[in-house]
Amino acid sequence: MIVEHLELIDIRNYETATFELRPGTTVVLGDNGHGKTNLAEALAYLATLSSFRGVPSDALVRLGADRGVIRATIRDDDGRQSLIEAELTVGGRNRVQVNRQRLPRVRDLLGTMRVTVFSPDDLVIVKGGPGDRRRFLDDTLVALAVKYDAIRLEVDRVVKQRNTVLKSAKSSSTNHGDLGITLDVWDSKLSDVGGRLAHARATLVDRLGPMVQQAYRDLAGTATDIELGYVAPWRDVGLETALAHARDHDMRRGVTSVGPHRDDLTVVIDQMPSRTHASQGEQRTLALSLRLAAHRLVTERTDSAPVLVLDDVLSELDRGRAGALLDHLPAGQVVITSATDVPGRVDHTVRIVDGQLA
Amino acid sequence: MVSAYTPPVQTLIDELGRLPGIGPKSAQRIAFHLLKLPSADVARLAHAINDAKDKVRFCERCFNVAEGALCPICADDRRDATVVCVVEESRDIVALERTGEFRGRYHVLLGAMNPLEGIGPEQLKIRELLTRIDAEGITEVILCTNPNTEGEVTAMYLARQLQPLGLTVTRIASGLPVGGDLEYADELTLGRALEGRRPVDDG
Ligand SMILES: Nc1ncnc2c1ncn2[C@@H]1O[C@H](COP(=O)(O)OP(=O)(O)OP(=O)(O)O)[C@@H](O)[C@H]1O
Ligand SMILES: [Mg+2]
Ligand SMILES: [Zn+2]
Repeated sequence: MIVEHLELIDIRNYETATFELRPGTTVVLGDNGHGKTNLAEALAYLATLSSFRGVPSDALVRLGADRGVIRATIRDDDGRQSLIEAELTVGGRNRVQVNRQRLPRVRDLLGTMRVTVFSPDDLVIVKGGPGDRRRFLDDTLVALAVKYDAIRLEVDRVVKQRNTVLKSAKSSSTNHGDLGITLDVWDSKLSDVGGRLAHARATLVDRLGPMVQQAYRDLAGTATDIELGYVAPWRDVGLETALAHARDHDMRRGVTSVGPHRDDLTVVIDQMPSRTHASQGEQRTLALSLRLAAHRLVTERTDSAPVLVLDDVLSELDRGRAGALLDHLPAGQVVITSATDVPGRVDHTVRIVDGQLA
Repeated sequence: MVSAYTPPVQTLIDELGRLPGIGPKSAQRIAFHLLKLPSADVARLAHAINDAKDKVRFCERCFNVAEGALCPICADDRRDATVVCVVEESRDIVALERTGEFRGRYHVLLGAMNPLEGIGPEQLKIRELLTRIDAEGITEVILCTNPNTEGEVTAMYLARQLQPLGLTVTRIASGLPVGGDLEYADELTLGRALEGRRPVDDG
């Protein structure tokens, strides 16, 4: 799938801007603060319906405007064109259209357009908290199969519901017979959807492990050993049993202490945990390797490469690694943003100055 | 909190914002729409709300909307009193009646378990359902709550309460769009789901 045309109206620092994109590698050049990341963010928004900066969609609307529009024409591998439009309204409901037909729910757009973003922020996958790593896994799952979006949302919701029951149990003296059954049924629901999500994550981690190692070797040119592990202590006994064991503790604390919302991904590099032991450069290369491996896996499984956006990641790498990254990307459309010239093969160059094409 | 609007306008926005599915932005838009309408139109809307509230009440037995003490279904003695279909809202009865598959009676819970919205089993008509079992000689309960998170959990809760009473407890078959509402299911799908209901396993 490729993006042929991207139009931004009142998005971030863009009043109106139209980008014609072609197959191959396009470099978007611009000085700091001129709108490179904003462009990458808008493109990725159509694929994930969220900002990779982790902010609500309101932040994407240009300051002073009530709503913004992101519009793209995409062409899939069979040559079929579609027009995708997202209208973001500050404080209101966002709307999404495909070929001028409004979709009943915004989330129905997921899967229509696929984009992988590499960003300097990816470092949080290695250095950040468990939530950052869970997000990486879940985003990858959604890119592999859209159904995981619903599962991940349901897990979030069931955890919130269970926590609310726990809190209300603490504050009021409601009939305990009923409370027991109420918690039983929420536990049962959480173990059902949570179990499915954790199983999918663990399977993904198993598949990614060797691929991350390969990606790291491709980028660094060293025979480094990388091992991934999915950490979910409750999986030995099953979630329903683990939740039952934790119930008294959870009732005192008013939060659910076990489940997929507390799990983690460990990345071990040459026998050492990367978060605490790896060097800055190793951590950066690891983060890239995780993204590259996920991108390769999605390309392989879905039989088509997502559009790849490299937002300012090359400038952080030495020339050797930057070149290695470009050499090891699967074939497909690539958009690279940078403040300085980019090494390697470039098919087209676009310049932006202050939210305008120069 | 300081409001940008004069008190009557702010009160209207607040009241509208309390309605299900209406967020603050929509409440604001509807409020200003109402203010622009001719007085007669507004009076007609206000009258329709008051009139419905005055004339319509809940069936004493099943909590379906009714004009008298009993809803038309409870008042119809040709319906099978031994089978009860449990739904979240009256509008689900309309959907199920359209299928023409069901000849028993209903019980409306008036919602589903949703702790985030302050709705637990106590806020639903569950105790009333339990008292109906013996009183009406009910032998089968079909759980027709919505196929979404809250509906599923409510069905599980009811199953746990009903099974010790020695009844046949069944759950409407899947095949309904997951995460959806009964009211949006077409009657063919809904009819099949009702026919293909399955006993709930002991949890
Ligand atoms: N909602 C908004 N409305 C208007 N302007 C915004 C909005 N959000 C961000 N901006 C502006 O957009 C500008 C460009 O941001 P962007 O992150 O795209 O820059 P960049 O080209 O990626 O820069 P860098 O090279 O430093 O990463 C920022 O200066 C910011 O002030
Ligand atoms: Mg940037
Ligand atoms: Zn009735």
